[in-house]
Amino acid sequence: MLRVKAGDLDRMGLLFERHHRSLYGFLFHMTYQREASEDMVQNVFYKMLKYRHTFTGQGEFVAWMFQIARNTLKDQAKKKKNKIQQLSAEEMEDRLPGGISADEQLEKKQDKAGLYKAMASLSEDHREILTLNRLQELKYGEIGQILGISEVAAKTRAFRAMQELKSIYSKMER
Amino acid sequence: MMCEKYEDKLIGLLNNELTPAEQAELEKHLAECPGCSEELAGLRDVWDMMAEIETPEPSSHMRVKFQAMLDTYKESVEDVKPGIWSSIREQFSKVWQLQTRWPMAYSLMIILVGFGLGYWLFSSGKGGKQEEQLQALSSQVHELKQTMMLALLENPSASERIRGVSYTSEIKHADKEVIDALLATLNNDPNVNVRLSTLDALSHLANHPEVREGLIRSIEKQDSPIMQLAIADVMLKLQEKRSVKPFEDLLKQKDLNPGVRDKIKQTITQLI
Repeated sequence: MLRVKAGDLDRMGLLFERHHRSLYGFLFHMTYQREASEDMVQNVFYKMLKYRHTFTGQGEFVAWMFQIARNTLKDQAKKKKNKIQQLSAEEMEDRLPGGISADEQLEKKQDKAGLYKAMASLSEDHREILTLNRLQELKYGEIGQILGISEVAAKTRAFRAMQELKSIYSKMER
Repeated sequence: MMCEKYEDKLIGLLNNELTPAEQAELEKHLAECPGCSEELAGLRDVWDMMAEIETPEPSSHMRVKFQAMLDTYKESVEDVKPGIWSSIREQFSKVWQLQTRWPMAYSLMIILVGFGLGYWLFSSGKGGKQEEQLQALSSQVHELKQTMMLALLENPSASERIRGVSYTSEIKHADKEVIDALLATLNNDPNVNVRLSTLDALSHLANHPEVREGLIRSIEKQDSPIMQLAIADVMLKLQEKRSVKPFEDLLKQKDLNPGVRDKIKQTITQLI
């Protein structure tokens, strides 16, 4: 990123190749909207180009990228205040990657769908931290940087989120 | 129930962020604490299941759109060249920061030199010139006053002549011309008031030897009793012993005013 900052804008292509998937994954799990997430990925990369001079190189690039992504999400939420609503279970199933009508083992499918729904009904903070932690496989130090909290606070929040997810999921199972 | 202080360790274990020592300690605790090991088991189930959560693949359009965006951005940058501008600005600010002390010292020095130069110019150069000019001017005024005084002394009006005489008090250095004019007035002016004020003016110039001599010579020429009395007073004030001779000559005059005679006698005794 420092080379992009220095004017080598083509390097941004490399960063896109490396990071656009995880960025997209984060945005998707925060919104469950494919197209909107793709647009936001685009938006985040545009902002990184435009505000490249603000990248100090002190923190991780990934942390910087996710910070911008969070801001983009907030802007988006402001714009479409009521458009992103809690989705019904049916809608959720429709949005499952690949759909659930694929000929997989029924039990596994149900597990997956259940956990997916449980994730969706988590509070936003908890869904956010688990997405970063478990799905994007970031360390707690990095997560702390992204969220603007300490590493210990990130661990505590992640633990609480896991507990919440577990309890929601076990209620669904019954 | 689990132990609260192991929350961080449990979540760390799930994310593989524990040091070997921390891991050993946690395992030891888990062996002793059924609450914590139960919690971990439950969380690990969910944790492992989360690996199955899939994220849809972004569409292939995205890369194309990104490339288009990047190209457009690059073009716009080349149009306005903000990159070049910002780099110039960065360079400039670097240079500025680096050299900020030198220009500061330099400009301070210039200011000081300016002050010094200005002071020098005004005190020695222009100042001297101005003083010269001022002196020339004041000497011109002085000359003008002298000329005016001399002219006034010739005036037929007695009061104008008195005014002319009074100017002499304003003339700092009375020269020979002025003194001669005053003495002539003292001896020859028909008006006694003019002569009196001339005497007064001359008594202020008594440090000039020619004034003193003139005054002494003037004694025998004065016929007005008032003038004789006044000149006696002046001689007394100046303690002029040389005036005794003319006074004694004056006493020989038979028609001398008795009052004046007494006064002159008294003056002579005081002078001797």
